[in-house]
This record gives sequence, structure tokens and C-alpha cells, in this order.
Amino acid sequence: MKQMGYLMVDHRASPGLTEQQALIAGYDPKLSGEGKVYEADTMTCAHCKNVVVKNPRRTRDRPHCYQCDHYICDFCAVKAQTSDVHMPFSKYLDLTLTQAALGSPPDLLRSTQ
Amino acid sequence: MSKRIFQVSSFTPTAQADGVLSAGTFAALKAGSATDILKIGKVLLEGQASSSAVTATCLARSSTLAITPTALALPNTDAPANIAATAVTTVPVAMVAAATAPNRSPAVTIPRLNLTFNAFGGIIQWQTNPGSEEEWVSVGTATTSNSETVLSSANVGAAGLIGANIFYEVL
Repeated sequence: MKQMGYLMVDHRASPGLTEQQALIAGYDPKLSGEGKVYEADTMTCAHCKNVVVKNPRRTRDRPHCYQCDHYICDFCAVKAQTSDVHMPFSKYLDLTLTQAALGSPPDLLRSTQ
Repeated sequence: MSKRIFQVSSFTPTAQADGVLSAGTFAALKAGSATDILKIGKVLLEGQASSSAVTATCLARSSTLAITPTALALPNTDAPANIAATAVTTVPVAMVAAATAPNRSPAVTIPRLNLTFNAFGGIIQWQTNPGSEEEWVSVGTATTSNSETVLSSANVGAAGLIGANIFYEVL
């Protein structure tokens, strides 16, 4: 099984979407009308966990984080280029869980005066 | 832990702008403990409308988490898919109403999965490989735009009646 998500929009028993509605939703209008099934791959950003429906017509490179060795979304690609901090979601999970296990830092209780 | 299914039998995810959502128009899910991670691997929505209704549902995160969630009641359910599963230490919080409803995050940089379909006979499904890095992940109970996932409709068209199933795992 390939390492991607899968989106299925099944209008086989439905009037489906108009061409305009399909375009607004980001689907192929030819596969979103009455009696049609639209299927697409999805990819999840390693940094923010955004799920992106793959656009088969895209010709630009899809961003890839070589530290995570995983796809990242366009927003995070810009962040990665402009920031020195590498912050994948898995690191964020680690930090949150560590903080939850350790509790509040003792510095919070210290008087500043 | 075992796979769980949070299902909402029938509700209308009324089309509404980002912000505090109206009661009964959303399905939200968050972990029960600060150290729990929820991984959503599949979302299945079935249209139940009796006439054509383009329903722009989306899976999003809450920028302000729900306060005092109303306990889930039948016919809605949230339980392990495997009847013999070991009980989770802290049960996740699944809700369709709260004293103060969640605020769907309006930020451009916060993830959102668009799940638009016609609720008159339409079905939409998004799924990932179990255990893969493609899953929708949230952690803890209090972090804004992270801990709470909310299924609702964008402010497009006139949403119809749907049934929702969210398949997820507690880690």
C-alpha cells in the first residue's frame, strides 16, 4: 500500500456538484457530477500535519524536508527557508508530552522582586 | 491502544463562518489527558439530505477549545471498534455541543481538510494508512489550534443533513 492518504467523493447516487462548485472545492469537475466518483491521493505535511489533496497538474516541485525525509506543505516550505529552527510535528509532540510529564517549570513560582 | 469510532448519527453542519460554532452543527474530538495523542486515520461522511445540498464540511482545528463539553448521548457514540479492547486510561472527549462551543481556527496557516460533497445521496471518505505519518494528529487537552479537532461546514452554500464517522486511535 502506498504511503499516501486517499480521498473519495462518491456521487454515484447523488446529483453531485456543479462545475463551479467542484472547482471551488478543488475537485475535477468531470468527476464530481451526477453518477461520478472522484478519487485523489492526499499527503500530510510532516511539520504542521496539514492534509493536502494532491494536484495532478502541478508542475512545480513539491517541497520535501530532508531532515524529516517527508513531504511538507507550501506554507511550511516557506517557513523552513526563512527560519533556522527545524520544528517537525513529532518534535512538537515530544515537547508537549515532556512538559506535561514534568509539570510547570519551578521558575514560575519564583518571585521576580 | 485500540481503534475507536466517534459517530454522529445525523446532524446538519450548518454553513457558518470561522469562529464560535453553533451547538449541534459540529462534531469535535480531543484527548482526555494532557499526555494523550489522538490519530485520526479515517473520516467517513454519508449524506442524508432529502434534496440537493452542497455541504462544504471541513476537518479543522479549534483556535479556542470548547469549554464544558456536553456529554455525548445516544444516538451518537464514541467507543472502541473492537468490543474486547482494553479500556483507555482516560477516555477522549467527543462532543456535539458545549457550554461554550469550539472556535474553528480562522488562521490561514492552521491545517484544514476540505470535504465538500452533495449531501443528497453523496458519500465522502478520507483515509490514510494505519500507523503512517499521513494521519491527522492532535495532542493534549489545552493547546490551541492543536488539541481539538472539529468537523463542521465552511460558510458556503446550504449544508444538508449528514451522518459522520471519525475513526481514530488514542496513543
